[in-house]
Amino acid sequence: MTALIRNPLTIVWALLTTVTIASSLIALDGGASHHINTTVTTAVLLIAAVKTFLVIWHFMEVRRAPLWLKATTSGWVLALFALLLTFYFASL
Amino acid sequence: MTDVARGSTPQVDKPVRAEARGQVPGDSSMWFFVIGDLLIFGGYFVGYMYYRGRNHELFLAGQAQLNLDIGTVNTIVLLTSSLFVALGTAAARVGNRAESLRRFWMALAFGAAFPILKLFEWIPEISRGLTPGKDLFFMYYYVMTGLHLCHVALGLVVICFIIRNVKESVAPKISFVETGATYWHMVDVLWLVLFALLYLMR
Repeated sequence: MTALIRNPLTIVWALLTTVTIASSLIALDGGASHHINTTVTTAVLLIAAVKTFLVIWHFMEVRRAPLWLKATTSGWVLALFALLLTFYFASL
Repeated sequence: MTDVARGSTPQVDKPVRAEARGQVPGDSSMWFFVIGDLLIFGGYFVGYMYYRGRNHELFLAGQAQLNLDIGTVNTIVLLTSSLFVALGTAAARVGNRAESLRRFWMALAFGAAFPILKLFEWIPEISRGLTPGKDLFFMYYYVMTGLHLCHVALGLVVICFIIRNVKESVAPKISFVETGATYWHMVDVLWLVLFALLYLMR
């Protein structure tokens, strides 16, 4: 059991769960009024980008994969969130 | 966790650590499917953001109707299921079949909770008149979460196959376990983006 708790995968999961709760609290606290809020949007999208990267890197074991797979998957995360933030800010 | 079966399974697919191989986890054709799916969903996500930008008020009003609590719990449920899949894969790799099996059963239990919670979310929403035809936000909401739910359903079947593989085979096919695991983690990744776009952003 202790080995399971100390497992690096469990530590990644704990981090993912913590930031998930944090992002919901940010949305509740700063965005409960349901008006445009660039701070909340930037924060939750950046947190989501970090979360997707952590799942790809550690759970999908891309950190041990060849360079082409590391580049493709990381490129997807970067390009997607850059586009999402660009479209969001361009529309304000 | 020890390499208990390492010496006893000299056949094909004997447990080998992924870090020692430095190769693509699982079948590389699954990775092409995963990348294709990520790109297709990426298109939906950017399309959603574009249409949202043309009518922020409509999308914000739609978001206000969603159940953030269930959305948050479901995100944690999928993350936990993914953790058990990753732990189960690691155990299968070192030949610890009993532990691997336990972990994949846990992954299946958490994974199965996702569609159940989704029903608890959708049914009250639909009964309140929040149907896909209500407006563009709800069209996107049901189409994207519905497509994702189809992926979850297929993923649950994949986990069942992994369990059968680990349970019935003396030397489980590690590449099969890794391939299935890769698919399940992709389902998790897609949800993390959906959760931010539909429930969290303002």
